[in-house]
Amino acid sequence: MRLSVAAAISHGRVYRRLGLSPRSRLDLLRNLVTALVRHERIETPWARADEMRGYAERLIDYAKRGDKDERAMRMADFWLTEKDLIHKLFKVLAPRFQPHAGSYTRLLQIPNRDGLDRAKMAVIELKGNPLPPLVRPRRDSDRTLLNQLLKGYRQDAQRARGTPV
Amino acid sequence: MAVLVLVRSPLPRLRALLQRCWGRLERGLWPGIFGGHSPPWGPALAVQGAALVPQGIGDAEAPSLPESVVWMAAPKHRRTIEVNRCRRRNPNKLIEIKRNIDVCPECGNLKQKHVLCGYCYAKVKEETQLIRMEIKKKEGGPFNAPTVETVVLYEGEKPTEKDEGKRIIERARKRPSWFVQN
Repeated sequence: MRLSVAAAISHGRVYRRLGLSPRSRLDLLRNLVTALVRHERIETPWARADEMRGYAERLIDYAKRGDKDERAMRMADFWLTEKDLIHKLFKVLAPRFQPHAGSYTRLLQIPNRDGLDRAKMAVIELKGNPLPPLVRPRRDSDRTLLNQLLKGYRQDAQRARGTPV
Repeated sequence: MAVLVLVRSPLPRLRALLQRCWGRLERGLWPGIFGGHSPPWGPALAVQGAALVPQGIGDAEAPSLPESVVWMAAPKHRRTIEVNRCRRRNPNKLIEIKRNIDVCPECGNLKQKHVLCGYCYAKVKEETQLIRMEIKKKEGGPFNAPTVETVVLYEGEKPTEKDEGKRIIERARKRPSWFVQN
């Protein structure tokens, strides 16, 4: 029976190692969460955005409890370094996401960074933000065979409904 | 280790000459034959320099090495260009071809299937930059985040009943076609 883990095996570890130390990792993620709440859309390396996403969504879940909740206020106080954003979180974001059950953020990959490192970059945004949309939802083209057949079927059904009346 | 084949000649004088030459080669008294290096059956590095230098003949050619020398691996033969080509052009060394490149339906530039189009993203980024400059002008200073939602209106647009109570950001241009008002 294995009672200790070998140092070089990382099976099942979910947290990435970012920054200089575990404390530095939390500070990094905290800065990113603050920036996301302030600007509602940020562009950062993909690994950091992916790591930060879970923390941001849990913070919004805490905010949904309301600002009278002691734990929610302590969480917001820790995670948001700029204290005017605590007001924004409880008064703007919590009502905005009240109807949603989860997944308040959208993470999309963008072309690699232009610098020397060519890092994998991502843009993470809160849904329902007032900024221009990143991806336009596209309907399938009407010229495909399946869509033409469906269109014909719909027209036949309409004609059949039209004549008896 | 190369093996020198001694040719058995019927002439005894030739045989005596060959035996003398062989003796000299074995004792390392004939370094000139291999262009200054030791005979091919010797090891890559000598352990004891003193053992190879014969007594009584000066140490003119003997290299002065320290007592303990480490054996190192060294290539024995030159890799031919054919072998080199086989190694360099092996499929695992070539760059993988990407089959996930598509055409963006909006602008027609190339994009990877799972990545946003670079041109369209640059367009959106530039517009958000201008919107953020307007927000900065409206807020006036740092740490003035509003406690109400924000809505962006372009030239000639009036706030609808959905935009009640929201902070209005004006942009002095026509609404772009890809930014649908909702």
